[in-house]
Amino acid sequence: MTAPAAAPARRLFAESVRHRTLGNGARLFVLENRFNPTLALSGSFQAGRLYAPADRRLVASVTAGELMKGTGRRTKLQLAEDLESRAASLSFASDLGDPVGVDVVGSALSRDVDLLLDALVEVLRSPVFPAEELDKEKKRLVGAIRQQQEQTSLRAYESAMRRIYPASHPLHRPTGAERIGKVEALDRGMLEAFYAARYGAASLALVVVGDVEADRVLDRLEAGLGSWKPGPAPAIPQPGVPPAVPGAETVRLADKANADVVLAMPSDLVRTDADFLPCSLANSALGQSSLTSRLGVRVRDTEGLTYGIHSSFSATHVPGPFVVSLTVKPESRDAALDATLDEIGKYVRGGMTDKELAEEKSSRIGRFKVDLGSNSGIAQALDAAIYYGFGVAYLDEFPGKVAAVTKAEADAAFARRVRPEAFTVVSAGTF
Amino acid sequence: MSPASGDAFELLAEKAGFREFRLKANGLRVLLLQNRVAPVATFAVVYHVGSRNEAVGYTGATHLLEHLMFKGTPEFDRSKGTAVAAVLEALGARFNATTWFDRTNYYETIPSDALETALAIEASRMRRAHLRDEDRVPEMTVVRNEFERGENSPFQVLYKETFATAFREHPYHHPTIGWRADIEGVSTARLREFYDTFYHPNNATAMLIGDFDEAEALASIARRFGPIPASPRPIPEVYTTEPPQEGERRFVVRRAGEVAWCGLSWRTVAARHADTPALAVLGNILGGGITSRLHQALVEKSLALSMTVVPWQLRDPALFSVFAPVRPGVEPAQVEATIRQEIARVAADSVTEAECEKARTQIEAEVIFDRDSSDQIAASLSEAIAVADWQWYADYPAAIRRVTPADVQRVVLAYLHDDGLTVGTYVPKPSAGNGAEASAEEA
Repeated sequence: MTAPAAAPARRLFAESVRHRTLGNGARLFVLENRFNPTLALSGSFQAGRLYAPADRRLVASVTAGELMKGTGRRTKLQLAEDLESRAASLSFASDLGDPVGVDVVGSALSRDVDLLLDALVEVLRSPVFPAEELDKEKKRLVGAIRQQQEQTSLRAYESAMRRIYPASHPLHRPTGAERIGKVEALDRGMLEAFYAARYGAASLALVVVGDVEADRVLDRLEAGLGSWKPGPAPAIPQPGVPPAVPGAETVRLADKANADVVLAMPSDLVRTDADFLPCSLANSALGQSSLTSRLGVRVRDTEGLTYGIHSSFSATHVPGPFVVSLTVKPESRDAALDATLDEIGKYVRGGMTDKELAEEKSSRIGRFKVDLGSNSGIAQALDAAIYYGFGVAYLDEFPGKVAAVTKAEADAAFARRVRPEAFTVVSAGTF
Repeated sequence: MSPASGDAFELLAEKAGFREFRLKANGLRVLLLQNRVAPVATFAVVYHVGSRNEAVGYTGATHLLEHLMFKGTPEFDRSKGTAVAAVLEALGARFNATTWFDRTNYYETIPSDALETALAIEASRMRRAHLRDEDRVPEMTVVRNEFERGENSPFQVLYKETFATAFREHPYHHPTIGWRADIEGVSTARLREFYDTFYHPNNATAMLIGDFDEAEALASIARRFGPIPASPRPIPEVYTTEPPQEGERRFVVRRAGEVAWCGLSWRTVAARHADTPALAVLGNILGGGITSRLHQALVEKSLALSMTVVPWQLRDPALFSVFAPVRPGVEPAQVEATIRQEIARVAADSVTEAECEKARTQIEAEVIFDRDSSDQIAASLSEAIAVADWQWYADYPAAIRRVTPADVQRVVLAYLHDDGLTVGTYVPKPSAGNGAEASAEEA
């Protein structure tokens, strides 16, 4: 057998990604990567909960979810049959973590590239939101919300978001009972209205990576999307950062062997902020990994109080919270919480060590390479770089940007945003 | 292959890009697959030991041991600033270890120029793990919290009880994480004994997938693993088998909650059995996507919130399972009856060639999508060599392609009958404390 050739030195993404902007604003990006006969699709457009009425935020996620329920040409079942019979997949989701975007994710064997792209165009341009499908989805959603009510992790997180963000804020989380009421009040007219108001090509960006011919993909997408309405121009109204609401709350649930604890505070960090990378590196050393971070080493590895502990900034186009979450045996909650707060306090006061910063940089650069090891990994990285306005070249520049972060920048950016005394602490479980 | 590594290894077989070697010095199997999608490689070591090798008193030992394998060796030690996880994290590796019924695996996906570090770590902990009592004590409570997290999940409770009910004699009866009292009670000495029994090169398969030079990689593997001796005694075999089930079994779990679950599981065959591909195709016809029969019968009819079909593929005869969270307001019995009706429909009328073709295409595509990245291949391959061998994985798409509607009907008639069935129901108990507003201020 002949050994395959060595992996070639990767060309710069800026040189190898083909790009086309259509007259209506849609931006298309294709990278040929011919190692495996598959393709990955990733994309986004601005139609998340930020743009939905404050008393009906869920219309954004339901509209995105109902796109695949039928078009002017195909029923839901026909569409699913056409994709599933070829092992292709296509989905649209507006998740809680990012109030701005609707994510588009797809995959197919490369022989089915036309099938996938045509379905994408059809679903984006001519969804019909059948009433009977919405009725089924409402029943499913009510059940799913009730199912969520028994999950300690969700209950703790949602209570924290309810406490720190006011009802008008897109990151506010209504109670389960309130959400069930909002689901039951939905009708297809609301979905059609949201689609008509928010959907369009102007904020759409699509990335295709895989065993495809770039020009063919660009031509086919242009033929399908070129005449689509532009819709609203890209714009991101900032919802503001509320003051912290220090305090504690316990959500009591019966028969739970494990409890979840969430510590949360509002943060002003956005993904496009120059402070993002310094903050992100500082956070990694504090709490990204349950095995190696300061919180992991102290609360899990040394004291054995948790299986999992993580901290993160939820920074997108709009500022989200800084959150620390951990799971505990209910009797261990106070000890785990004390250790967590103590460790965060020390970290905010003393900052990272030079060794920690060096290791986090090395880790981030290495992980970046590892994450680019698949078509879907490349597609997601390109999509994120485009979504946040950094451009394709960001993937080439990223290692250099990480290497340039200084300890002073990381310490200052983190300490400006994390104050242990400002946390809202919510525990959910059997107490 | 370089002369040095050529002397150290015996080439056993090659197929579909895989090359299987045996390290002559100690019997370590080495499986290589070059997949140069990116400058990344995955190195994994699969030990042929899992909860299948446990018994009462030390259930969960395999898993607890897996945790302790991160606590260090003389070469990789937190006190020296070279903890296993810290070294891998600094490389940007995607790494972890997992334990399952038939195997334990350790893996790292790394930039390909960091391969030597991954080899060094895995060679070191194959025989030189510290396994200290002062590490076990805090790690036991970590694992116990992992157990507690599982107890919070109705699905995990249901599938654990399903195996405990369907298997009375075979060790698949025990959950991989172990029973709580065993997690708390097992001694460090017992874990050491387990390590000394099963962690040897002749009970392991090392695999390297991705971007690497074969000759250099084999030379490094020989240098790192070659000095480790084979086990002094034969690796113990599991000889316990589960006798045929002679009638339907049922169980109910009642706990506080909001949503009921229903699970039906039938006794089937070992992964190596010739009927495994037909059971896999049946799994996709019943549960593979929106167009599948059970999605249509349960979710589209608003009886269940979702459904999952699992044609378990294990080393010894296993199960074919259907699990579904029941939509509030619907009786679990109605979901159970609907699942039974759909199975009976296949038994009576078979499936269509179009359904069969869709399922075959979906399963074949999964194997092609695996090749998108080295860690996906490694994950699939780990399962395959744990339950059968790598050639089983390489031959799997062709075996799936040969499945006909008649095969699907035949396996339903052969295995999915009431005498081999275990039905489990998770019934939520109303609780005053579980309301959406049950919070207390403690500011």
